[in-house]
Formats: sequence, structure tokens, C-alpha cells
Amino acid sequence: MEIWSLITNILLWFGLYVIVSLSLNVEYGYCGIPNFGKALSVIVGAVVAGGLMTRILMVAMGVHGDIITGSSAVSGEVTTLVKSNPLYGIVLFLVYIILALIIGAVVGAVFILPSARLKEDYLAITLLAIAETFTMVCYYNPVIVGSYYGVSVPNLFAFIPASVRYQTIVGIILITAFVVYIVLERIVESPYGRLLRGVRENEDVMKAYGRNVMNIRIKTMALGSGIAAIAGVLLTFYTLRVQPDSFMNYGRTFWTFFPFLIILLGGAGNNRGVVLGSLIFATLWELVDFYKDNIVSALHLPVEAVWLEYILFGVLMLLILFYKPEGLIPEKPIVTEPIKRKKS
Amino acid sequence: MGVVEGALIYSNLLALLALGLTLTYMTTAVPNFAQGSFAVFGSYIALTLLRLFGIHPYKSLPIAFVLGGLLGAGSYLLILKPLIRRGANVVTLMIATLALDLILLGFRGIYAGILGKITRQPCEMFMFSYLVKPVFGVPDILLVSSLVIVLTLLGLFFLLYKTKFGIALRASVENPMLSEIMGVDVEKTRLFSWFLSGALASMAGVLLPFKQEIVPATAELVIVSIFASSIVGGLSSIAGAILGGYIVGMSESLITYYLSVVTGNAGLLVYGKVVSLVIIVVTLLVAPRGLAGIRWRKVIRWRSGR
Repeated sequence: MEIWSLITNILLWFGLYVIVSLSLNVEYGYCGIPNFGKALSVIVGAVVAGGLMTRILMVAMGVHGDIITGSSAVSGEVTTLVKSNPLYGIVLFLVYIILALIIGAVVGAVFILPSARLKEDYLAITLLAIAETFTMVCYYNPVIVGSYYGVSVPNLFAFIPASVRYQTIVGIILITAFVVYIVLERIVESPYGRLLRGVRENEDVMKAYGRNVMNIRIKTMALGSGIAAIAGVLLTFYTLRVQPDSFMNYGRTFWTFFPFLIILLGGAGNNRGVVLGSLIFATLWELVDFYKDNIVSALHLPVEAVWLEYILFGVLMLLILFYKPEGLIPEKPIVTEPIKRKKS
Repeated sequence: MGVVEGALIYSNLLALLALGLTLTYMTTAVPNFAQGSFAVFGSYIALTLLRLFGIHPYKSLPIAFVLGGLLGAGSYLLILKPLIRRGANVVTLMIATLALDLILLGFRGIYAGILGKITRQPCEMFMFSYLVKPVFGVPDILLVSSLVIVLTLLGLFFLLYKTKFGIALRASVENPMLSEIMGVDVEKTRLFSWFLSGALASMAGVLLPFKQEIVPATAELVIVSIFASSIVGGLSSIAGAILGGYIVGMSESLITYYLSVVTGNAGLLVYGKVVSLVIIVVTLLVAPRGLAGIRWRKVIRWRSGR
């Protein structure tokens, strides 16, 4: 049943990338903030799950010691607890998600403070620098999420048979992605969404209309980062571990560059396009991964597939920028209720 | 290698990298997110020549200069120039340099694998520190890196202030449209700045493994320090970039060293990038235009008026 595992893999990455890319679309596509530090909020989600929640559970369960050994003790205990009563698992799941949302939002708001008033290039540089530095600190500091050793995350769905655990997680991720889509679609269709587009198009006009651009940017970053942090938590539920060395090696590429690629592929400022972009990206990624042995042996080179994927997706990004900068589904003009009434 | 010596070497290299970044920002108005990859490109040239032909990295500096320059010029011609002609905005250009960075990372990974197969030695991580020899009581890398930056500055000064091309280049930075009317080929000056930027970064990359280990994430991390240096210098001032390189390089090394001595925790030494980040944030909050944007006369008058 290789084809089924391919499809579930595609759906897994599709769901995660829909969440992260939609959140980036609010920041970049609608509000015009070039958030080159998007990876930070995903990593914050993982840190909330692996670091903060583990500590809270350690205190609640009276487990002593450092986070590396403590996390495996906590995961074991929580897993047995959840097996005895599924309700604990569901409540804990909601606690993880809500906490990630709140902390992600706070981090996002603080994250942009130094540069909220600045031009796009300074903004991008600062956001990237903050994200890279935080990633590096997570990598070196064993207190946050166990540095080299990483930490375990409890299996909150231990009450579900192990044979369908993976499919369940994918289902939960897809449901979350759908909810995020609905919520964000409501937000960007509201007057607030039009305000965001206004800030993107012309800051000075918005200021002239008495809007506080800095304030809008801070709010948008809080919203976007909170949502992306949820994706970080969901990812840890899938891997059941948090490994800071993977933040270091893959963080920026996977959670900053690829979301930008998806947005530009699908069409910036357009949530439907982003969903389409995520689907195309996840399918391409998994197909390359699926056939990587064939590709590598065809090339007669001692090559790891991931490098080929980097080159492939880097070139794809350039091609989009050259030939289709508006994306597959271009942004549509705003149609408000009064305009609709006038037309009919 | 002593702490101050190490800090000076690092600052020399950072000044070279920040100078390159600033040059391309001045002419093309895009911060080049691939500058770290340009540097590691040079490191791999040096590694290849050392492992395959036994050429000492110092001797590979001229080759790295030329090849790095070609990489920079090629990046401009193939990626940035067509985009600028299509009227791309600054965010699009920045995303393009991010894509370039990823492509270079992919090629680097493949190349390291192939080179490792040929030489039967791992090439994903390497250092040249075992090649350092003391000369006149200091490590020779300190002399070489200082010599490189001094020669670069002399050459640049000569070029910018003593040649016709230099005048044209400065004019096209000052006002591209007006200088085009006066017959300056702005394209040529842009291409030259990218060539020089790649060449300087590549030379810095040759010398970087003497100071720190090259790992797959090196390019992504060093970019933070490069941006910090350029931002301290105001992002569009050559003197500012050099000064910024020394400020950031020295603070990264010395502040972490001082803190590790005071707290007795040697683990603090790895957090140099946090210092860079603090420098970026403080600069943006206090003087967003960097050292070059501060009106020093006013500051001095204000100080003496007290």
C-alpha cells in the first residue's frame, strides 16, 4: 500500500503548509510585511509543546530533573493516562493549541516591535536576524528544548490504535487547516482585511485617514504568528519529538522559504490560491521524495535527494518571479456589500 | 590563538563581507541574502584546491577572488537584472536572493558529497586552523586577513576617487537617472559592484575556516553578523560598513568572552549572534540610519554645549 502512504504524506504536508502559508499570506499577501522570519513562529509552537507544556506537566505530575529526562517520564505517564481516559487527551490537546496560539501571538507582536516603523528591506532583515538567532539559541541551549538531545512530546491520542495513529494526526491537521482557512477568510473579507490591503498599497494614505500603521502591523504579526505556532504544535504531535538541530538545518528553508514559494505560486493576497499552492507544493515534494532513489541512480551521482529538492524549488521560485509573479490565481478586486447591491 | 587576535581576524573578514553587501545595496538597492553563501563558496574553492592539489589556502585567494566575482556577476546578470527590468519591487528582489541562497545551498551539498567521494574525506564540515603558523609572534592568518582588507581598501579608494570609472560609479549611486543622462552606463556600475561583492565575499570565505568551522548552516548564521555590520554602518556607506564590521566582530567575540569569564560559564561563547542581534535592534531603535546617518557635528556641538 505504498500509494496510500504517499497520499497520507502529501495530505500531512498539505495541511501543515496550508496553515503556515495562510498565516504568512495575512502578513505578506494582505498587509505587505515581508516576514522573512516566518520560521520563528513555527519553532515557537514546537518550543511551547516541547519546552513549556512539558515543564507544566512536570510540575503537575511532580516529576523532577532536567527537561531531557523529565520529558520522557512525562510522555510515558501522559500516554498511560490518556489510554485510561480519552477525555484527558482531548482536553490536553486543546490546552496545547490555545497556549501555542497565545504565546505565538505575543512573540509575533514583540518580534516586529523593533522594526514596525521601518521600510520593507530593513523589516525583512531584522525579522530574519531575530528568527535565525532564536533558532541558534534553541540549538545550543539545553534548557529550552534539550539542545542536541531534544525532548519527547506525549502521544495525546494514545487511545487510538497505533495502526491508525498517523492517519488520525493527518485528519486533525486537515481539520485545523480548514478551520484556519474559514477564520482567515472571514477576517480578510471584513473591513479589517481591506485595511490590511490599504496598508500594503499605500502607508501614507492610511496614515492620512488616521490609521496607525505600526499598530496594524503589530496586530497582523500577532495573528499570523499565533496561527503558525499551531502548525508547530501539530508537527510535534506527528513526530512526538522536538529536535532543535532540525530547526537549525531546515527551519529557514522549510518554514520561511517554502511558505513564500507557496504564496507566490498560488497568488499572494488570495487564500484560495494559497491552498492550491500548498497542494501543488506538497505533491511535488512528496513525489520527488518517493522517486528519489530512481532520480539519484539515474544521475549517477552520490547525491542526497534533499539537495536536489533545494535546487528544484529554488529554481521554481525564480521562474515564478520571472514569468508569473501574480501566481496561478491572481488577487481579485474587493467587492463590498454596497458594490454588490449596486451591480444587481 | 588569543581572544583579541581571534576577534581581530573575525572582524577583518566581517568587514570584507559587509563591504560587499553594502556595495550591492548601494547600486541595486537590494539586501543580498545570499552573501553568506557567496562566502562559503570561497571556502569550498580553498578546500578543493587544498585537498586535490595541495595548494595552501592563502595562495588560492586570487583564484577565489576571480571565481567569486564571476558568481556575483552571474547572479546579477541571470537573476537580478531581468527582474529589475520587469519592474520587480524590492521584496521580489529579496525573495530572489533567498532563492539564490537556497540553490547555492543545494549545489554546495551535492558538491561536498562529490568532493568527499573523490578525496575520501568528509567535506561537509572542515577547518583550516591546523595550517596556522606563528609569524613574528602572531598567527599568520591575522597578518594575511589584515593585508587583504588593507589592500582591498587601498584598491577601492584608488578606484573610486582616482579613476573615471569610480567617479561614474559614485555618481550612479548618488543619482542613477541623472548620471545616465550624463552618459554613465549604470548597468556597468551595477554589474561591477556585484562582481566585487562576490569576489570580496569569496576571499573572506577562503579565510573563514581558519577562524571557525564551516558547517552546512554556516552561511545562514554568518548572514546575521553581516547584516548587523552593514546596518550599524547605515547600509549605504562604505566607511560605515568597514567600521560596522569591526564593531560587530569585536563585540561578538569580546562581549561573549567577557561574559563567559565573569559568569565562569564557557557555554556562553557560542552566543555571539545574540550580540549581533542586540546591535541590530539597538541601532534600529536609536539611529535607524546607522553611524553614517548620525549628524556628528550636531552631536559634538550638543556635547560641548553642556
